[in-house]
Amino acid sequence: MDRIEKRLYVVICSMFTIMITAGFVSGGFIETVRAFITLQTLGARLIQDFTYTHVGAALVNSALVGICGLVIVFFSEIHLAGPTMAAILTLTGFGLFGNTPFNSIPIILGVWIAAVTARKTLGAYSIIAMFGTALAPIVTYLAFELFGGGLWTIVLGIAVGLVIGFLLPAIAGTMLLTHQGYNLYNIGFSCGFLGLFIAGLLKAAGRLRDLSIVWNETFHPVLYLLIPFFGVMLIVCGFLIDRNVSVRDTLASFVKIQKLPGRLPSDFIDMASAGGTLVNMGLLALASWTYAAIIKAPMNGPVLGGMLTIIGFGGFGKSLKNCWPVMAGTIIATLVFGKSLTAPGPILAALFCTTLAPVAGQFGIIAGLLVGFIHLTMVETTAIWHGGLDLYNNGFAGGLTATLFIAFMQWYRTNRPREDFEQ
Amino acid sequence: MKRKEFLGRLIGEISGYILQGNPLRMVISLHQEEDGAHISIFDDIKRDESELKKIRTALNPTSKRPELAEYYGLMAGHDTPWDARLKLVGWQIKKATVENSDSGIQIELWLGGDAFNPDHFTL
Repeated sequence: MDRIEKRLYVVICSMFTIMITAGFVSGGFIETVRAFITLQTLGARLIQDFTYTHVGAALVNSALVGICGLVIVFFSEIHLAGPTMAAILTLTGFGLFGNTPFNSIPIILGVWIAAVTARKTLGAYSIIAMFGTALAPIVTYLAFELFGGGLWTIVLGIAVGLVIGFLLPAIAGTMLLTHQGYNLYNIGFSCGFLGLFIAGLLKAAGRLRDLSIVWNETFHPVLYLLIPFFGVMLIVCGFLIDRNVSVRDTLASFVKIQKLPGRLPSDFIDMASAGGTLVNMGLLALASWTYAAIIKAPMNGPVLGGMLTIIGFGGFGKSLKNCWPVMAGTIIATLVFGKSLTAPGPILAALFCTTLAPVAGQFGIIAGLLVGFIHLTMVETTAIWHGGLDLYNNGFAGGLTATLFIAFMQWYRTNRPREDFEQ
Repeated sequence: MKRKEFLGRLIGEISGYILQGNPLRMVISLHQEEDGAHISIFDDIKRDESELKKIRTALNPTSKRPELAEYYGLMAGHDTPWDARLKLVGWQIKKATVENSDSGIQIELWLGGDAFNPDHFTL
């Protein structure tokens, strides 16, 4: 592990320490531990805002889920870099509204069993293992929500989680080819696809319950200030992480990131530098938080989850330049269709639509606006298709939108008459 | 992973890169053994030193990235309408050499298990 990577570990660990400390301080130790245990047994399908139950416990749960990801990266001997930081911070974000250590670990173990079966290391499948926890709600749904909890239902939930984890590597690779890497949350797309079959099966058995939205609208100072604090911290760390690199070089590296399309797999730490990447992540944090603050959106679990995901992907495909057109497209669609910008669907779509940022990065502003617009119309429909079981619903909708767009672009590119042989 | 699919992907991506330059001639040669393989690609366009360096860097990453090679490496050879990405190849091979030959570029890819010795291979 090199010097820069060690410092990245310090940055990520500091974020988790801050979250855990803030959780216990704001919630009280005993009460937070009690609520944390409650969170493990809550239904986790979309949208279950853990901060509605207990802000402190939600923060501790979120940090612990992120630590699970960090442990995978450390022990499977892969690099803590753009892709792995994206996965860890996405896990952390969804730890505020869906992922818990209890429902995530069976999926991770399932992917590990698939890796052993295919004679690979867990490191080789680590990205799939971490993002695969998008389907973690099925574990809690079967273990606690559907049958009320009991030893055999817990065993059933864990067993189904293992099976899903085992299936994911096969599906993820195939789904990646459909959109050619233009949907950053590819595992969300894969999990949505698999979720269609699981939801179909549950529906056929009469066991799929209707979705409900648990959405915290109460102001909490810790939730309100967490993201701007992380944003400033990441920017400062970006300028300090490598003493051999000047401020000017870090800024040059940040500018270089803005010029990259961001198509999967774009590890900004590898393609630019760790400093420039952290600055990009910090500025994305501040930009997304400012948007939410301006429209007066509630700073709750799902909204903060969206921002943490954007921060994470600031090292793996997202930049200020390729995110804004897609966000603008989604905001325009929200206004055109007369929806509220602060309603759960539109605010989450405005944050998570940045899964399509590579489309804007590669094909320009108009393309970005267009896919952002289409994304909103899709994302409001798709959650019902998979019964809210895929936490990365925007990844699923984004995958469909990207596939449609890329299919058209591929047809256009492969039929350019001026490149034909002369007749 | 089946060898046929693996080789097909690598050849697809690297040939995609060569074809981006619209060469009049491209030759791909493959030599397989039990423990490894050697792929050689030639064309008729000479590259300047900065471009050669860029290709060498992409094909010889400084560290192994199994988390990217196994998953995102599947895209290699499947995205011909877009710009070829040699990093997808670089993550999946043992080493690469890139030089200008008499006529154009010559790229050599070496792949195989840990026991594989590239010295046993000739064109």
